[in-house]
Amino acid sequence: MMGFVDFAWLVPLVPALCFVIVGLLGHKTPEKGGYIAIFGALFAFVMSALVAYDYYTSDAYKLGEAIIIGPIEWLNIGGLSINFGVYIDSLACIMMLFASFISTLIFVYSLGYMHDQGEKKRRYYAEVSLFLTGMLGLAVSSNFLEMFVFWEVMGLCSYLLIGFWSFKHHEGDDASDNAASAAKKAFLVTRAGDVCLMAGLFVLLYAFGSLDYDYIFSNAQTVYANNPTLINIGILLMFGGVIGKSAQFPLHDWLPDAMAGPTTVSALIHAATMVKAGVYLVARSYPLFVTSSDAMLFVAIIGGVTAIYTASMALNNMNIKRVLAYSTLSQLGYMILALGAGGYLISIGMQEGNQALITLGTMGYAAGILHMINHAFFKALLFLCSGSVIHATGTEDMRKMGGLRKSMPITAYTMLIGSLSIAGIPIFSGFWSKDLVLEAAFAPFHDGLGMGSVFCVLFILGMITAFMTAFYMFRMWFLTFMGEPRGHCHGESPKTMTVPLMILGVFAAFIGLIVLVNFSYFIIQSLAPGLGGALADLGLYLGFHDSMHILEEIFTNVWTYVAIVLAVAGIAIAYMMYVKKPYIADNFDQTKKGFLYRLVANRYYFPQLYNQISWKLGYGVAKGVDIIDRNVIDGTVNGLSNAVVGSGEGLSQVQTGYVRDYAAYVVIGVLVTIAVIVLMVCYGGGF
Amino acid sequence: MDIPILSLLVLIPLIGAILTLFMGGTRTKYAKVVALVFTAIALVLSLYVMILPSSDLANLTESYAWIESAGIKMSIIFAIDGLSILMVFLTALLMFLVVIFSWNEEDRPNYFHALLLAMEVGLMGVYMAQDYFLFYIMWEVTLIPMFFLISWYGGPRRHYSAIKFFIYTHVASLVMLIGIFGLVFGTTGGDFSFAAVAAGADLPLMMQIFLFGLLFFGFAVKMPVPPFHTWLPDAHVEAPTAGSVLLAGVMLKMGSYGIIRVCLNADIFSAAFPYWQPVMIGLGIFAMVYGVYACIAQNDLKKMVAYSSISHMGMVLVGMGCMSEIGIEFAIFQMFAHGLISAALFMVCGLAGHNFGTRDMRLLGGMAGKAPKFALFMMIAFMASLGLPGLMGFIAEFGLLYGLWEYLVSVNLTPLILLGLLYMLLTAGYYIWAMQKTLFGRLTDKIDLEHAHDIGNIECVVLAVLAVLIALFGIVPTLATDYIMTFAGGIALI
Repeated sequence: MMGFVDFAWLVPLVPALCFVIVGLLGHKTPEKGGYIAIFGALFAFVMSALVAYDYYTSDAYKLGEAIIIGPIEWLNIGGLSINFGVYIDSLACIMMLFASFISTLIFVYSLGYMHDQGEKKRRYYAEVSLFLTGMLGLAVSSNFLEMFVFWEVMGLCSYLLIGFWSFKHHEGDDASDNAASAAKKAFLVTRAGDVCLMAGLFVLLYAFGSLDYDYIFSNAQTVYANNPTLINIGILLMFGGVIGKSAQFPLHDWLPDAMAGPTTVSALIHAATMVKAGVYLVARSYPLFVTSSDAMLFVAIIGGVTAIYTASMALNNMNIKRVLAYSTLSQLGYMILALGAGGYLISIGMQEGNQALITLGTMGYAAGILHMINHAFFKALLFLCSGSVIHATGTEDMRKMGGLRKSMPITAYTMLIGSLSIAGIPIFSGFWSKDLVLEAAFAPFHDGLGMGSVFCVLFILGMITAFMTAFYMFRMWFLTFMGEPRGHCHGESPKTMTVPLMILGVFAAFIGLIVLVNFSYFIIQSLAPGLGGALADLGLYLGFHDSMHILEEIFTNVWTYVAIVLAVAGIAIAYMMYVKKPYIADNFDQTKKGFLYRLVANRYYFPQLYNQISWKLGYGVAKGVDIIDRNVIDGTVNGLSNAVVGSGEGLSQVQTGYVRDYAAYVVIGVLVTIAVIVLMVCYGGGF
Repeated sequence: MDIPILSLLVLIPLIGAILTLFMGGTRTKYAKVVALVFTAIALVLSLYVMILPSSDLANLTESYAWIESAGIKMSIIFAIDGLSILMVFLTALLMFLVVIFSWNEEDRPNYFHALLLAMEVGLMGVYMAQDYFLFYIMWEVTLIPMFFLISWYGGPRRHYSAIKFFIYTHVASLVMLIGIFGLVFGTTGGDFSFAAVAAGADLPLMMQIFLFGLLFFGFAVKMPVPPFHTWLPDAHVEAPTAGSVLLAGVMLKMGSYGIIRVCLNADIFSAAFPYWQPVMIGLGIFAMVYGVYACIAQNDLKKMVAYSSISHMGMVLVGMGCMSEIGIEFAIFQMFAHGLISAALFMVCGLAGHNFGTRDMRLLGGMAGKAPKFALFMMIAFMASLGLPGLMGFIAEFGLLYGLWEYLVSVNLTPLILLGLLYMLLTAGYYIWAMQKTLFGRLTDKIDLEHAHDIGNIECVVLAVLAVLIALFGIVPTLATDYIMTFAGGIALI
């Protein structure tokens, strides 16, 4: 029987058609294709919901299997056969659902936000539709190469949209230059990761002889046992792609610059969806990744370091979007940390045959995914709120804002919801997932595993990050909305913008509650095909992932209360510093600050390091090659010809004026050669 | 077979060339129409061949006796298989598009189109010839029109470039000719046909290595492989756009085609393969990386794209050097992909020079605002060339690098794959950088903005056709790979 799930391929296809239609005919429709793009996103959402429902009620779900549609042969050449299909499981459903839902809201919001952009809107709506295709295609891919194709399509859209104002910027030439430079940086830095990911795919293809998810997942353990070193390298290379796409340390630096794009793009691509692709890749490849505990340890370390390192840069930044960008980086670090820690547990559990560890590890997995969803909602909300503020004030500098809660109350209070959520105040979404993330990081230490001390450090870093998060978010909120106005403001944004804010506000506040309806049991179904033996009896997990049990875990844990206290303390300190104390402009003058302040404000001089490396590795060598090419190689050729023909008469001296002579030489030369050869061969009887 | 289609593929452009050549005086303005008709017929014929079932391709073979005396047997044999069919299509397509693209050529259009059509004769011949002597003649035939295209219709240093082009490729083809003689007289003693040579091949090892080397040198200069490449950037920079498109799109492929067709013939040279394999791989990797770095140093868009051809053809050489099914088949795919992509690249660069008055990236900037259509096509071409998935360049690069990886693993040199990755990263680097400098940022004030204009409708249509094909073959690669697969049987591996 055909169900909606058999038409899951429509989910990415319809936005793709919208891209083509908007691209070709968008200028003839109202809002230059805006409504077509919204239709595509809405269709994708409705279809995703139907597909997800279909899957949830299917036998496959109960058995812990994925539904694979297709697959069709995409490439068959040179003994290499690649099949593309659609892979539907709980992870794919979750990904499709939140990506399409948030996209719909952001596209609607764009109607207001981008309204004044005139002809450029066609390009905007075409590119965001293509982006959505990439995101949804990534979610439903059934093959690593297929996934990589969509992965790169998103990278392209990110590049194009960061550079949306890279020419004819309404703020002038410098802004154009900045956008162009940011787009370049985003593309190239993520490209460095993508190249690693591609090499990782080579390893998989070489080791498994296939890139199909189901084949790799069900054979991961065996293949790893045969050649652990190779698979370890493969996993780390793939993780290189994650580091690039999800902007983890040390390839994180492109994301803050990417804020040069329109705020809607920052919300959609650089907060809610695309940057999650890396997290998604880790989650998707979990059955493969967990074969190697070393790799998972590395993943967790990168996540933990990124979380605190990037949070620190949000502490003293004055640009509202930059603060949110650093915050995104930090939260992505959390997700990676949770996945790494959970995977480490599963990995050790499988090596030791310890079911309890595996069960515990699945919680880290669920925590990472839950945080990914929650973050998508509250960070999209926060960005859109900041967009609303920027729309009204015309600036991104928080020093020129202040007191906006009176003139734009909807924006102010929805943003407050987002801030409370990300700060981890109980009941709000962020609280649930952040708590589970930290618990997951703590678990390997708690269970006294070999590398437990490392996880203890990571856990402490996570706790400090939680404190920083609460502080910088409320610093931002207070500076923007409290106190006296320090700049002008057009008043509240139009309905097309505030309605999505309110909808997102509701979700940002409460989406985290899905943890109370057995969410984590739903999501770990997607691990079942890969962990086959280890997850033999899914019923085992039902008790563990039961909502009541999770509530118990959360509220009987002393660290939960410590985290809450830290978050409240962060908010309180921000309140003392930015509301209680009168605003003094001098306090915000970066040039008058100490070394540490400037170090952080200058992003630890990381951009300069990048520039140095790329300059030396790229342009420096290139200049050397160029000199060799022109002087040594070409010099030899010209020198030789001069020597043969006689000084000054040779090739390098060929100048204008002798066209006919040379032409004649050429034709005669060729003809004579051929004639001599024919004569020689025919009448000379060979040599 | 009633209609000799393959002969027609050579004869139609020949008739067209003769007709246009004599359309002097008041009739010159109709030369382009004649050229369009004849290239269109050739394109239709090649499409007809494309839609034939692969089992019928062998029936198309045509064989005519030509010179037979004193034990020498030279024949005119045309055949088409999975290797040549894409090249023939590529030739016919690019010729047709180039004629449209050059619709506004005012300078002696009759000669211009005659040269184009004459080149088509040679190219078709090279890709279909099944006789070494015919192959050589056709090879030389392509050379003369290209020489004149550069030296009559080229830029300021066109004579230097044309002569350099001629000397390089002519010397190379003479070396190749010696190789052919050695091969023919060492095997059949005088029968030049491919089949006879392959059947009679029983060369001693040293002879195999030596002859392989001569032939390989002849082909490698054409590809071109550094350090024998410096004719190419000069030729490209000076050649008119049409010339550059054909040079990069189909003429360079003659080199790699020759290597697959002649050098990698296991019936003849199988003993020499292990000796030449490391050389081919080494030179290929060198070409890739060297080409990339040379690209980064360029300021002239067209020169940059010319060096990118060297680096991309290095990739083809690597694939051929793998001497595995995957390497060779993806090398063919890359030849086809690069044919379409480089055509678009050179058209875009030519338009930059024509419409903005300069191709110097230091002088350009912010052109996306001034010329949005130009920007669109430049981005498509550059993205395709840097291997963006969804466009056909990616498939070739993925397969070729994977083939290289397999080879490197087999010889325990896996870390060298890093050079391949560096190549991918830096390729993205120079293209993205070039786009930033040309299209984005503040609008330049260093060029004559009054006269800078976007691309016209004719060029738009041509570029759109190429863009659609590049995307089509990138999304549905089986459209092209099915042809290459039929060649698989012809590849005997080490």
